[in-house]
Amino acid sequence: MSADVELKDVWIKFGDFVAARDVNITIQGGEFFSFLGPSGCGKTTLLRAVSGFLEPSEGTVSIGGQNMAGIGPNKRPTALIFQNLALFPLMAVWENIAFALEVRGVGKAGRRKKADELLELIALPDQGDKMVHELSGGQKQRVAIARALAAEPEVLLLDEPLSALDLKLRQHMRTELRAIQQRVGITFIYITHDQGEALTMSDNVAVMREGVIEQVGDGTHIYDRPTTSFVASFVGENNLFRGRVAQADGQYALVDTDVGSLRARTTTDGDRALNKGDSAFVFVRPESLKFANGGGHENTVEARIAQQEFEGNLWQVHLDVAKSGHRVSMSLVNDGQNIGHETGANVTLGFNPDLAVALPEGPLAAGE
Amino acid sequence: MMADRLRKIFVIAFVIMFFAYLFGPLILMSVSAFNSSAFPRVTPFECFTVEWFDVLARDATLMEGLRNSLIIGFGVMLIAVPMGLAGALMLTQVNQRLRPWYYTIVISPILIPGVVLGISTLVFWDRLGVMFGAGYDSIFYNGIFLTIVGQSTFIAAYSMLVFISRLQRFESAQEEAALDLGATNVQAFRKVLLPFLKPAIGSAAVLAFLASFENYNTTVFTIVSESTLTTVLASKVRYGINPSISALAVVIVVLTLFGAVFYEILQRREAAATKASEAVARGETTSRAQQAALYADPAVIITLLVFLAGFGTVYFAGTMGVDECKIAVKEEKLQRAAERTKMRQSLEMFKGAAPGAQTGTAAPGAPKERAKGTEGYEGVFAPGNLGTGSDTPPKEEEKKEPEKIESPGKSQFQNIFDPANLQQQSGSKN
Amino acid sequence: MNPANYLRHFFQKNGMTLGLFLLVAVTFWMFILIILPQLFMVDFSLSRNLPPAELGGPQDVMTLEHYKFMIYGSAQEAGSYNTVDLGVFVRTLLAALFVTIFDLAICYPIAYYLAKVAHGGWGRLMVLSLIVPFWVNEILRAFAFRIMFGSAGVINAFLMWAGIIDQPYDFIPNNIALYAGLGYAYILLMIFPLYNAIESLDKNQIEAARDMGASWLHIHRRVVIPFAKPGISSGCTMVFMLSAGALAAPQILGGPSSLWFTQIIYQWFNTGGNWPRGSAYAIILLASTILFVLLVMKVFKVKLGEIAK
Repeated sequence: MSADVELKDVWIKFGDFVAARDVNITIQGGEFFSFLGPSGCGKTTLLRAVSGFLEPSEGTVSIGGQNMAGIGPNKRPTALIFQNLALFPLMAVWENIAFALEVRGVGKAGRRKKADELLELIALPDQGDKMVHELSGGQKQRVAIARALAAEPEVLLLDEPLSALDLKLRQHMRTELRAIQQRVGITFIYITHDQGEALTMSDNVAVMREGVIEQVGDGTHIYDRPTTSFVASFVGENNLFRGRVAQADGQYALVDTDVGSLRARTTTDGDRALNKGDSAFVFVRPESLKFANGGGHENTVEARIAQQEFEGNLWQVHLDVAKSGHRVSMSLVNDGQNIGHETGANVTLGFNPDLAVALPEGPLAAGE
Repeated sequence: MMADRLRKIFVIAFVIMFFAYLFGPLILMSVSAFNSSAFPRVTPFECFTVEWFDVLARDATLMEGLRNSLIIGFGVMLIAVPMGLAGALMLTQVNQRLRPWYYTIVISPILIPGVVLGISTLVFWDRLGVMFGAGYDSIFYNGIFLTIVGQSTFIAAYSMLVFISRLQRFESAQEEAALDLGATNVQAFRKVLLPFLKPAIGSAAVLAFLASFENYNTTVFTIVSESTLTTVLASKVRYGINPSISALAVVIVVLTLFGAVFYEILQRREAAATKASEAVARGETTSRAQQAALYADPAVIITLLVFLAGFGTVYFAGTMGVDECKIAVKEEKLQRAAERTKMRQSLEMFKGAAPGAQTGTAAPGAPKERAKGTEGYEGVFAPGNLGTGSDTPPKEEEKKEPEKIESPGKSQFQNIFDPANLQQQSGSKN
Repeated sequence: MNPANYLRHFFQKNGMTLGLFLLVAVTFWMFILIILPQLFMVDFSLSRNLPPAELGGPQDVMTLEHYKFMIYGSAQEAGSYNTVDLGVFVRTLLAALFVTIFDLAICYPIAYYLAKVAHGGWGRLMVLSLIVPFWVNEILRAFAFRIMFGSAGVINAFLMWAGIIDQPYDFIPNNIALYAGLGYAYILLMIFPLYNAIESLDKNQIEAARDMGASWLHIHRRVVIPFAKPGISSGCTMVFMLSAGALAAPQILGGPSSLWFTQIIYQWFNTGGNWPRGSAYAIILLASTILFVLLVMKVFKVKLGEIAK
């Protein structure tokens, strides 16, 4: 059983501080939905509002069409997986998993049976009698999931569950979690600051900044067609050129920058559409920049190679743009040869307008 | 370098003196418990005996006081621990601005002098009793009730501190997880928080009991017409002490040592159990024998054996041959006294001085000592010192002494200084 | 947050059962056990000492007579003071101060030694051993001192054996036994705060100071003591208040000239039969200890969160 989750006109305030501002989102039953954003952007707060640990200052939270106002966390059809898991240290693994049944008064035999079933699901059979502290990080993770699933929730909420794990484990768990979700079929609401996670696992992603939802969409939308500068700079690596709009026709814009005029797609419309004279950013992904010494590209940038990094499957090349001096980077797939230019060489870079985005000036992700 | 070494010596000396100051009184007191001398002292050590423990057990007022102390201790435990727990939980929920005020109020009983707590409790319930028109045999004036109430006031604060420190290490997310999984508040409290607090409840309970048991300042006011162990002990100041109180000290020390050793054993067993289970978890299968070895700590067994042996020795040493020893001691004392009088007699006859002058020098000494209830040996210390310094018994306290053995002799020797009785001595020598 | 809202939120968070338990327990403790008795005591101290029959009658008025008594005594002439009671009061406070300083003086070096100099297991053992004497009841400990200092006691025996004196010296009238006993009683309370405070000082700071050539005195004065200030003030506060409010030790070890203020209070309740007066004196004791705590907090610039047992 899975349910839709709807947040309508939700504001969450703590005194003068606004943690969530005018949030309107509908999450379909059965989908894997992520909230993505930097620390402090309000995603945990929204999660707690959905699970029932806090009530929104304004607006409504509905699950399965039913308004959840005044209904406590123990009565909502949700289960929350905490960031630090919050497993019960004084109970055995199977008792942890069967806890939801215990509080409902299910007898010991029934609980043990259900716990064993779930242990099979999370691939930890025969571990039921161990104590929590005897398990590894990844195993604890899975127990937390099993414990939540035992409550048979309609919505499963996950609060940055993978942040404490090491890289390899994290990657492995990403696939696992997605597999579990598809097997069980319930709605997953997942929050994270790692955009790689969000993109690989989710059906849809909401990017948040300081309490505001910047954009909601699936992975390709968020990545290829960002609608705000923040989304463009937060999700993945992106190169940035500042300038002023010289022309805009609703599909493309021509932006005058100090490296020349650059043409790029526009993704915004309505009152955020780009008009002549507006300040704008042109974003180009590192993988979209090519060496263009021989011409053949509409947009060109002169730069000097500052550094080359070999990452195994990719070459990362860092260049200093002539005239403005700021850094750009490009990624080249490793085809068995080196990149063809020396460090320190002056090169011309080019990119396709369809692979670049022009957006209104706005706040950027930290570190840009 | 010289200064350095000197400093080191000084430091070690200071530390030794400090620990001597710390342990000295108790060691001396414990030793005096085994001395058959009727007043607690270490020198001279007359006979090794355990009879004072027997006297202790037969002391009816003390035993009644002990009984009341136990009852009160349990009562305080039952009231102060839950109050302290409630206080600690409340602290986590009170809003930020009120918190310092709340904390100050509940912590204040620790800072308020014990006598003030006792008085305020007494006065409060007295006034309440008056308001309800209750008589003197009602609960408003019941010493046990008042003492439980008065002591709980500050002991709950101690409990609260124990709980606060334990709660700080509690992951509050666990309680939220329980709620999230469908538990009611009571279930979350019972199944998640309470098990975590169990060790704290244990220590708070023990702390409460001990603090109640040894309390005096508050109790002495609230106990009204009853008594506790501490008030009975304190009242002995007026009625005279004997080594049975040293015996009590020994009993307490031994019991506490037992408690500490027992506690240490429990800790070790728990640590061993965790280590064993962790080893199993890591996949190192330990054989049955190895696991058993972890539990049966050899040190524990040896300590127990030593304890038993020690007890046995002390008991036997203290009961065998005590009476013979006492008779021997008494004989020795009388013999020494007789020798002294003989020497003085010969001196007097030798000097041929006026008896009056002799008694004149002796009298100032004797009446003074006699007034303090001594045996009159001290007359010998008068200026005409007869050089019997080494085996002279120290001066006794001014309290009433149950020295039945000496009293007959005392009156006889007192009469010696009366010139009219000089002729009697020859017949009274025994 | 208004009260009604707050209550609703509270019961929502805790549930009915638990919420009720918390409210009842805490209210009972705060009001019936702590606040009301103190208030009643203050009110009582301002009443006349009347037999039960006359209570509530015309004689039952508010009066400051008990407080006045402590200052002026029963001779109501102006200019004559109750030198006995006032003297005892002042002497008690001064003696408590003396005991505090004495304890600080002997405990500071030991705390420092245990925290910084003694190594590993040995040091921990010594710290644990500090607790042992305090398992024994304070009354028995006082008796131990009485026995030790008595004329039949070890001290006298030693002094005579050493030839320093040839008659047993009565320690009681000049209060040496009392001060020794009081100092002894609260060593634990002085050592532990000091030990905890000094222990948390990074040893490297001391090493660095020594490296720079500072003398021992200098190091303690400028590095260790300022750091250990909370511990020092905590220890001093507790020892002062417990000494000023001590009852057992003065009763057991005190001589006729060392009457303690608490003993006077006790007398008013016991043989003096004037409970209101006793309450007034108790309040004076309470007020002076509170004043002392505030003073220490001000001088050492420490906050109230210094009570960590």
